[in-house]
Amino acid sequence: MNYIEWLRVRNCLRTTAIVLVVFVALAGILRISLSRYMSPQQWAQHIGAEPGTTKTQITLPDGTKRTILDNPNERTHIVIDDRGRAGTHITLTEPSSHEHKNAENVQIGGIHVNESRHGDLSTTTIDTHGAVPMLYFMAIADVVALIIATMLAAPFAREIDGHLEIAFTKPVSRVRYALGVLAADVAGIWVACALAVIACYICELFFGTYRVDFSGINSRAILMGLVMPAAWYALLCAATTWFSRAYGAVLGFAWPVAIVVGVLAVVQASTPLGLMVHDVGWVLSRLDPLTYVKFAGPDANDAMAYMGADFARRFGIEILLFVVYAGLALVRWERVEA
Amino acid sequence: MPAVLTVDPRSGVPIYLQVVEQIKRSVALGILASGEQLPTVKQLALELTVNPNTVARAYRELERDGVIETAVGRGSFVRRDGDVGSPRVAAEIASDALDVALREARSVGLNADRVRALFETALTRWFTDAAKDA
Amino acid sequence: MSTITISHLRKDYGGVAAVDDLTLEVPDSTVFGLLGPNGAGKTTTFKCMLGLARATAGDVRYDGQALRPESFERIAYVPERSTLYDNFTVNEHIEMTRRAFRAFEPARARTLLEQFGVDSRKRVRALSKGMKTAVMVALAFSRQAEMLVLDEPTGGLDPVNQRHVLSLMISEAAKGHSIIFSSHQIGQVERAAERIAILQHGRLILEGLVDDLKADRKIVEGIAPVGGFSLDGITSDSRVARCDRTERVVRLLVIDGAPEFAQRLAQAGATGIRVLDMNLEDIFLYAVSPADATTAVVAQELAP
Repeated sequence: MNYIEWLRVRNCLRTTAIVLVVFVALAGILRISLSRYMSPQQWAQHIGAEPGTTKTQITLPDGTKRTILDNPNERTHIVIDDRGRAGTHITLTEPSSHEHKNAENVQIGGIHVNESRHGDLSTTTIDTHGAVPMLYFMAIADVVALIIATMLAAPFAREIDGHLEIAFTKPVSRVRYALGVLAADVAGIWVACALAVIACYICELFFGTYRVDFSGINSRAILMGLVMPAAWYALLCAATTWFSRAYGAVLGFAWPVAIVVGVLAVVQASTPLGLMVHDVGWVLSRLDPLTYVKFAGPDANDAMAYMGADFARRFGIEILLFVVYAGLALVRWERVEA
Repeated sequence: MPAVLTVDPRSGVPIYLQVVEQIKRSVALGILASGEQLPTVKQLALELTVNPNTVARAYRELERDGVIETAVGRGSFVRRDGDVGSPRVAAEIASDALDVALREARSVGLNADRVRALFETALTRWFTDAAKDA
Repeated sequence: MSTITISHLRKDYGGVAAVDDLTLEVPDSTVFGLLGPNGAGKTTTFKCMLGLARATAGDVRYDGQALRPESFERIAYVPERSTLYDNFTVNEHIEMTRRAFRAFEPARARTLLEQFGVDSRKRVRALSKGMKTAVMVALAFSRQAEMLVLDEPTGGLDPVNQRHVLSLMISEAAKGHSIIFSSHQIGQVERAAERIAILQHGRLILEGLVDDLKADRKIVEGIAPVGGFSLDGITSDSRVARCDRTERVVRLLVIDGAPEFAQRLAQAGATGIRVLDMNLEDIFLYAVSPADATTAVVAQELAP
């Protein structure tokens, strides 16, 4: 671990922590301001206050507190099962309206909503006990990690910019010195990831969920989520070490170029020029660590299957990219002259 | 040791020679008593802000010339009989100064008689006055 | 770390030799001054010595061995310009040095910094140029290094601090450590250095013990008679390094045998002959300033 680089990382993480604290605080404020609308109890009370509703409250043998609201006039029937720490299960049956879909299955964070229609009645079930897939935490954490990776990238360019006389007169070989720098930065990126995950978890707690789902692709998401920002960092490291004089420009152009390349790679074109541009974009995108990450929104069918597909190959490429880019940076670092 | 040693590094005379001459002069004038301890090489080097090897070389010369003696582990001292040679040393110093003066005189074109006259004037000025003060 | 041996060192930058066929040796426990005009190749020599730049030809050996990373436990370097990290404090630099080198003494560094008047809580970017030099010096001299490579170690320092650096160098020399340093302050070099080398245009033009150079090199000056006179046999002597002439005054820079030349000038009819000592500044200036103009004058004078 390189001390000076670690100081840089520490300053970076300090900024990250402050930003995350601000976000968590905002989430907390949001939670408080929405509390009127979020509590199933209050919602049930609201509906229960309508004329013609009978309210029954019983306790099931397993301790679940069940509230049944029934309004035969409106043909509305609500069953609220309060399982305490295990969450709440709500079943709502009401006449179908144009708002109801035929079948819908949505999971947002820890809230699972299912709609189905039979005849002229629609049934909606809401579960708030679902564990949050770790995958979503990692997705947000990776956005943070990519930002941190870009902030920390160019450590060798910074050394080349007037500090080689210190760096190269230490009793360690150049390569070992460089590995210490890389270790500090990658550790910093991973710590930033962890901080972001913790922040997300705290926000989730505000909204009533405390369980996290690590099963299946979620644990693989952690692996991918750690390696991908490291590979992006390594790419920027290599680029800035080779073009050390203009490293600010390299860092500045990195994001736009990655986006443009990514777009070119997926846009379909029919003209010869368009096809050529597409091909070039496709080839360049193979060099971009972000290409190998698959993420789908919660609405997509088979989202989980899509995200889990081909994992070993993509993960392997990600690691390979990290090693190759880091190696390129090291090669240049080893040969540079003060 | 009293700080009577000064060296001028900008002078063309090597520093070690300056140190040698000044110590000889101090001994001859009695500023350095016989048996008195000299500073260590390191101390004198720091005091004069000059290279220690220069001081070491000066000490070696002084030892060779019989002005000081060095006892390993104890330091350098003015020889007990160091001032025995002091009239000789004094004469050497005076003789060197006279050489310089006469060379200068010749280089500006004075002849021997003129120089002698100047010498008598200076002699009167310096030595008669000193006799009055004594 | 005792001797440094530089053999036929050459370093090219874009086809131009910044250092050309440099051979010199820094003996054990020696303070070695490297002099030269700006751009003479002093900094380049240091960089090649320390592995900061790759030599085009030749090599540098420490005690007969090539430079290795471990060698830097015993070598301390003060570069010409500040290479400290602007955004970090002096204290953080002390910590960084402590972690990098085994023999570093933080307490001594702090004492030295206090003596230089540096507030170690400050960030480096808040320090003046002289203070930055002082920090680099304090860190380098707190490492018990056997070999110190100093490139203009008094740059930007006020006279009191300059004298302080000089004293530090002399202390290290008294401990038997070696120092190779470059400086434009010839007075400092005269005090601290035992040996010097003068570089110009990347080449070594003079090398030797300071005391010997001063003892041997003299200027023999004479006033030529009105009719002019012949310097044949005098100027062709290899011990005459330079001959400067105006209409009436002849000055020979001799590297040995001054009394003999004084006599020969007298025999040639010159008067007002003087033998002048040369201090290091004189030696340096005469070594680096071109002699071509004056030889032409001499040739003209000698023609009937």
